Amino acid sequence: MSLRRRGYTDEYLDPEEVLSLLKRKFRKTSDDMVLREYRGGAANGGSYRCLWVRVEKQRFLDMVDTLMEIDFPHFQITSGDDIGDAVELNYHFSIFRSVGRGKRLGVTVSVVVPKDDLVMPSLWDRIPGTEYSEREIREMFGVDFDGLPNKGLVFLPEDWDEEIKPWRRDETGPKPEDIRELS
Amino acid sequence: MKLERYLDILTKSIWVFHCNSGSCNGCDIEIVASITPRYDIERFGMKLVGSPRHADALLVTGPVTKYMTGRLRRIYAQMPDPKVVIAVGNCAGSGDVFYKSYNLDGPVDNIIPVDVYVHGCPPRPEAIIEGVAKAVLKLEKLKETLAKAGAAK
Amino acid sequence: MAQGTNKTYKVPIGPVHVGLKEPITAWLDVDGERIKDATIRPGAIHRGIEFMARERNPIQVIYLAERICGICSFAHIVTFTRAVEDAAGIEVPARAQYIRTIVLELERIHSHILWAGVACYTFGYDSAFNLGMILREKVMDVLEALTGNRVNYGTGTIGGVRRDVTPSVEKVIRDMIAFYKNEFGVFYDVVTDDPIAKARMRDVGVLTGEEAVTHCALGPTARGSGLRVDLRWSSPYEAYCDMDVKPVVPQDYMGEVRGDVFDRFLVRVLEVYQSLEIIENALNGLPTGDLMWEPKLTKLLSFLKQADGTGLSSIEAPRGDDTHAIRLTGGEENVTWWKVRAPTYANAVSWPIMFRDNELADSPLIINSIDPCISCMERMVVTDRSSGHEQVVTRSELVERCREKTRRLMGR
Repeated sequence: MSLRRRGYTDEYLDPEEVLSLLKRKFRKTSDDMVLREYRGGAANGGSYRCLWVRVEKQRFLDMVDTLMEIDFPHFQITSGDDIGDAVELNYHFSIFRSVGRGKRLGVTVSVVVPKDDLVMPSLWDRIPGTEYSEREIREMFGVDFDGLPNKGLVFLPEDWDEEIKPWRRDETGPKPEDIRELS
Repeated sequence: MKLERYLDILTKSIWVFHCNSGSCNGCDIEIVASITPRYDIERFGMKLVGSPRHADALLVTGPVTKYMTGRLRRIYAQMPDPKVVIAVGNCAGSGDVFYKSYNLDGPVDNIIPVDVYVHGCPPRPEAIIEGVAKAVLKLEKLKETLAKAGAAK
Repeated sequence: MAQGTNKTYKVPIGPVHVGLKEPITAWLDVDGERIKDATIRPGAIHRGIEFMARERNPIQVIYLAERICGICSFAHIVTFTRAVEDAAGIEVPARAQYIRTIVLELERIHSHILWAGVACYTFGYDSAFNLGMILREKVMDVLEALTGNRVNYGTGTIGGVRRDVTPSVEKVIRDMIAFYKNEFGVFYDVVTDDPIAKARMRDVGVLTGEEAVTHCALGPTARGSGLRVDLRWSSPYEAYCDMDVKPVVPQDYMGEVRGDVFDRFLVRVLEVYQSLEIIENALNGLPTGDLMWEPKLTKLLSFLKQADGTGLSSIEAPRGDDTHAIRLTGGEENVTWWKVRAPTYANAVSWPIMFRDNELADSPLIINSIDPCISCMERMVVTDRSSGHEQVVTRSELVERCREKTRRLMGR
């Protein structure tokens, strides 16, 4: 039973500690978990960090629950691409949003979903704010989300042919006759 | 032309209805800016109305998305004759940067007939006022034709 | 209250819609005059922008990104160029960072004054609306002097900015700051002194702090519910790295926080004052130097062609956090994929919560209170559930109801 956090935390953990915690728990190499730093300003001073991790589909919910124990992971967006025989999804979260100056840590979790088993567990019951994003990925890539209550179309018009998935690059993607040149 | 003739043809200032068919809001904000005190189109008596059934002119912005095509046609059909359509902005005129998409049904003149095109991305409020003034002249001619044909004024 | 079986009316609103200049369809489930639930259907402005970017090179995508939204266009440009700079490893010179910050804050001022004016118009305060729009013209003049256009500036590029802050532009900006410090107080008085405005906005459209966290609310919507979140503070970028920007929350100024429309109004008005200070600090500390990492476009394009990587960036747009993710592949001129998450996308998930137990007449005000920029996100629908009967309410009818309620409250 995972912890159902309901607010942002005030306790800060150093990003290197978060990284080593995740490495220990998920037994990953340093290629799969990377910490990036961003600097700016006239004196190249202030900075914040972003963590990019990769995890298998079966351990994805474990990863989200681990983040939930550290702080409520604020969900930003899911981006992704069709990479041939699978769809790669990147979930962008961020933690430590309310702790202090320069302390926000962005966490991106990349998951590869094979096309013959295009289902992912839904995060809706943990983070209700993921609703639009999961519906969008469903209509654009065809990835089904287990546990999402409202699976209707969100951006495409009501009379859209649901067999056509606009962002796929294979035979389910839009054909040239579906794309209009306006002028 | 005598003043009485003018008053016969255009008995009141035109009322304008605005429809956004998928635009980025730049043109819509400039339309709102043109009714504010600096550019003030309301001193001519023109105002934005809430229903197409009360309107003489239709301002359309945006490249028409598939969702809005049917609705735009319905709005055009609900407006009483004589009416003019003003396509505001580059998107309504030709599509602007939005060429080659799966969800767009073409610039506005593919859907409804357009009388005046106002170019710009977005056009300045002064340009929109000039466009509306040209539409008024066109409307005068339309009303004159209708009056000559014996239709009710 | 409906008699007999407990059904609600479904009132569809939109897409050619009240109070907003944008098409959004919403179905409000209404029991009498009280709203029980709301379903929102985005989609009228979906132009397929991310799909179109797959056939364009990054410089062409800048002009596409600008037209995602007309009100927050520069915020999208800065986020996009930062994402490309992250993916390709480009560093931006310090002077360009400061100029980007100045234009971002000018845009924030124009957006917040526009919102304040439209919110006042929605509940019937026409004179405040017109006054707000005149005040806004000053910042539009400054933006035109700096960039050449009132909307869609075209000043951002990958690696810097294209227009400089010359001494005459600097003088114009300083005049504007002095002007606003004197004149903007009228809006502050509308918020804190006028009893009618307070009666219309207090306890309407409440979003508690906990709901704001779980539904991932952003920007002034989240700050209005008491959360201390602000990307300029928690992950500083550009010139904010040299300044201390604190999140503006109602409990610091009013002593309590209720998460209603009034709190969000207060947050936005106070942020205008904060932006004026930031612009002044940026002008005082403006460093000398180049404007762009690489002024020649062909060299920049050939560098980007062989760049490989995934970039992510988030900045604080006037409505909340704007996030862009982009992937560039080495050897290909075009962008591989690009994902945009505009702030209204996340804030709109909180709409059904804010609608609960409010009156139908308040719906335009609640719709407007998150400062929706639907073209950044997409669309909405309203249904009335109590009698199982569908009824279309047009745009003017809803605004009229909203203004009618104000007259009732004033005792006329």
